[in-house]
Amino acid sequence: MNPIFRRYCRSRLRPTGLGVSLLITLILAGFIFFLSRTIGIHQIGLEVLDAERIAFIPLLILQGIILFLLGTGQVAGGMTAESDEGVIEYQRLSPMRPLSKVIGYLFGLPVREYAMVFATLPFTAWAVWRGEIPVGAVFQLYAVFFTSAILYHLTGLVAGTVVKNKRWAFLISMGVIFLLYTVIPQIAAFGMPYFKYLTLWPTIEEHLPKFIARDTGAALDVAKSFLDQPRFFNLSFPEAVFSIISQSVLIITFIMMLWRRWRRAESHLLGKAWALGLYAWIQVLILGNVLPLIDAGFAFPSREMSRRFRGSFSNWESWEPEASEALAMSAIYGLFSLLLLWTLTLMVTPSKDGQLRGWRRVRKLGEKRLSATSDAATAFPWVAGMATAGVAGWFLFTRAVIESRWYPGMEMPGIALGSFTLAFFAAGLGFHALIEGQKGRTVGLTAIFLGIVPLLVGAIIAVSGDGLAAPAAWLIGITPLSSTFYAASATLPVADFPIDMARALPRAFWFWQGIGALVAITLVVKLRQSRKAIAKSTLGGSALVEVPEEETSR
Amino acid sequence: MSDTPAIEIEDLRVDYGDFIAVDDLSLTVPSGEVFGLVGPNGAGKTSTFRVLATLIEPTYGGVRINGIDILEQREAAREILGYMPDLAPVPTDLRAWEFLDFYADSHALGNAAARKRRVDECLDIVNLQEKRNSWCRQLSRGQTQRLVLAKTLLHRPRVLILDEPASGLDPLSRRELRHALQALAADGATVLVSSHILSELAEMCSSLCVVNQGKILASGSAEEIRDKLGGADRTLTLTIQGDSLEAIDWLGRQSNVSDLTTLPDASIAFRFRGDDDAQANLVAEMVSSHIRLRALEEKKSSFEEILVEVAEANRTQ
Repeated sequence: MNPIFRRYCRSRLRPTGLGVSLLITLILAGFIFFLSRTIGIHQIGLEVLDAERIAFIPLLILQGIILFLLGTGQVAGGMTAESDEGVIEYQRLSPMRPLSKVIGYLFGLPVREYAMVFATLPFTAWAVWRGEIPVGAVFQLYAVFFTSAILYHLTGLVAGTVVKNKRWAFLISMGVIFLLYTVIPQIAAFGMPYFKYLTLWPTIEEHLPKFIARDTGAALDVAKSFLDQPRFFNLSFPEAVFSIISQSVLIITFIMMLWRRWRRAESHLLGKAWALGLYAWIQVLILGNVLPLIDAGFAFPSREMSRRFRGSFSNWESWEPEASEALAMSAIYGLFSLLLLWTLTLMVTPSKDGQLRGWRRVRKLGEKRLSATSDAATAFPWVAGMATAGVAGWFLFTRAVIESRWYPGMEMPGIALGSFTLAFFAAGLGFHALIEGQKGRTVGLTAIFLGIVPLLVGAIIAVSGDGLAAPAAWLIGITPLSSTFYAASATLPVADFPIDMARALPRAFWFWQGIGALVAITLVVKLRQSRKAIAKSTLGGSALVEVPEEETSR
Repeated sequence: MSDTPAIEIEDLRVDYGDFIAVDDLSLTVPSGEVFGLVGPNGAGKTSTFRVLATLIEPTYGGVRINGIDILEQREAAREILGYMPDLAPVPTDLRAWEFLDFYADSHALGNAAARKRRVDECLDIVNLQEKRNSWCRQLSRGQTQRLVLAKTLLHRPRVLILDEPASGLDPLSRRELRHALQALAADGATVLVSSHILSELAEMCSSLCVVNQGKILASGSAEEIRDKLGGADRTLTLTIQGDSLEAIDWLGRQSNVSDLTTLPDASIAFRFRGDDDAQANLVAEMVSSHIRLRALEEKKSSFEEILVEVAEANRTQ
């Protein structure tokens, strides 16, 4: 048995603590089970078989609260507590393999929550048996339930490893789960359905008719026939399979992050090649998932919202998306891709100290160049690669929307590729050069004054009076956060703004992006000079290494 | 015993931002020694130890443990290393034996019976068998230190790195610790131990090294260090036959004499800066100046005084 798992079995499954937890869980599960069943038979007048079924979903919710929320909080808090107390250093020094350590903590820290969930399973099993719920559907649902739990617990482990404060780690990991089940599904409605596969919802929706009373289930089955199956390009999957595929990418990535940190505490969370591959793969996943839905109309927010909030299927024949939806979808896709680019850039960009260490190691080993994939090497080419993948994904998505059957006669203008590239490279490479070349305080102040303040001040100006929308648009255009919206607005034929905005947005976009590009180029040039200085001082003036071909060829 | 030194540190540098914690430190510790690293707080001891324990990467420098380059072969180094940090923490949710069993398990020390045997052996070494079933959080500071020492010994490391192991221990526990470390060294293990109390290390170590501001100031046996760092400074007490005023006047004119004091018994105490030859010359000159010297008592500076002076001298540089 894994030593870390055994250690937590000992400490978290002591009869006193576990006994109370199990007692509370059994009381709650019993209450939910008998209440649902009794209401079903005596209040709603269901047949026994249907009444047995209706406890299934409430029990699932209880299990989700225990394993997703409590379990994730326990993992994040427990991991941070190990660091806080200092005992994690003992574990660093033990010769266990890094992967064994990850697995030990992953299943050991929430072992009591697993025990609590298993304690509720007899009630679920009864509901499945007596309610004649198809076992295949239950199996699929619980497969996704447990992969989701592993994903969320890994989120907690990463938070616990990175965040120093126990309370913050706990709150962040719980916040992520909360966002996944509240905010992220709304983003999914804006042309990014991939995100909902990080939750249990799609699998529940797919099999819901089998988990509820047969009459209601039959009605839902008819409604569900209007919905398409998830697709990945031309392939169709059951929801559970696609959920597991979607979650697996993140599960493997999180395990990789933790593995790297256990192997070397100073390691970046992700390797450069992995970050680029992950970024590109997420673009492929999103595109593969959303492109088949565009012509069917399922990718558009108005249709998804209508389905969710009105449950209406009757007016779908006459439904058509608004022009502004295409604009919003493009901008959101671009913004998500940009935020992901920044996040991964933060993970793979070396500090100056890290670069120095790397160069000194190169000297010690008698080598002449830093490996491009090493943590100490500049992240520049990798960020450029991610930016390229981001622009490509954004452009393909936007073109598929604009040139879909919903906007007859429209074509994606070539200039859009230019505007997307400018927005992404200025914001992406500028950010990278800033964090690799400058100190944390400079980066923080720049983020506040260039990223946040213009947005806030612009919003206040915009609502201060008539005629101020254009000046506000100019001000908001400063922040890179608005660049994807401005890029789409400036070049897509679906943009439909009042005349002053229609003039201001493109001008503000090209002006600020021009400035942004100049700043980014300046920062990149300075960064290259700084790296050259580091290389020279470390290698005693020998050839410049991983940096640019043109410099090495001089 | 192998000819390969147990620990070789070459040009070790550790920076935290702009602060230099360890400044080009080089050190060699032969196998089978109890070697002490002493210095005031902030001297760079803990940073050096954390590098040796493979917990942090140095800014640069080379470190070998039993010939293994720890920066290139961390896992191999960890198998022969035992590290006990300063203020050694213990988990609050385990009993003493569970804590040890967990790490015995992590080091793959065999099945439950084999682990139990080894846990008991280590508890015996640190004299903590009676606390076997106590919660770790209920142990006193000294007991916690001993428990963590037991944990450090579990996998029979060839090189032990103990950061301030005696801090917080009562005299009896210190003596037990000293005996335990000397027994380990006698078994062939190398022990590197740190303290900011030189006299404490002088008792338990075969060799010492004084560090301050990340640099080595002196190394060798306790006496060699005292001679090197504090040999030029001692307190002399003279008893003069008859009137001592003439002697005080004469001593006051000597450049290497300071802090002249007349004691209640009429003897004269003063600080003398100079080596043994200079001291002999001083006495000879006193006698030739017709000062009737009846008795002389010499008291060299204590280790602590030396260390304080060294630290202060460095601070003012």
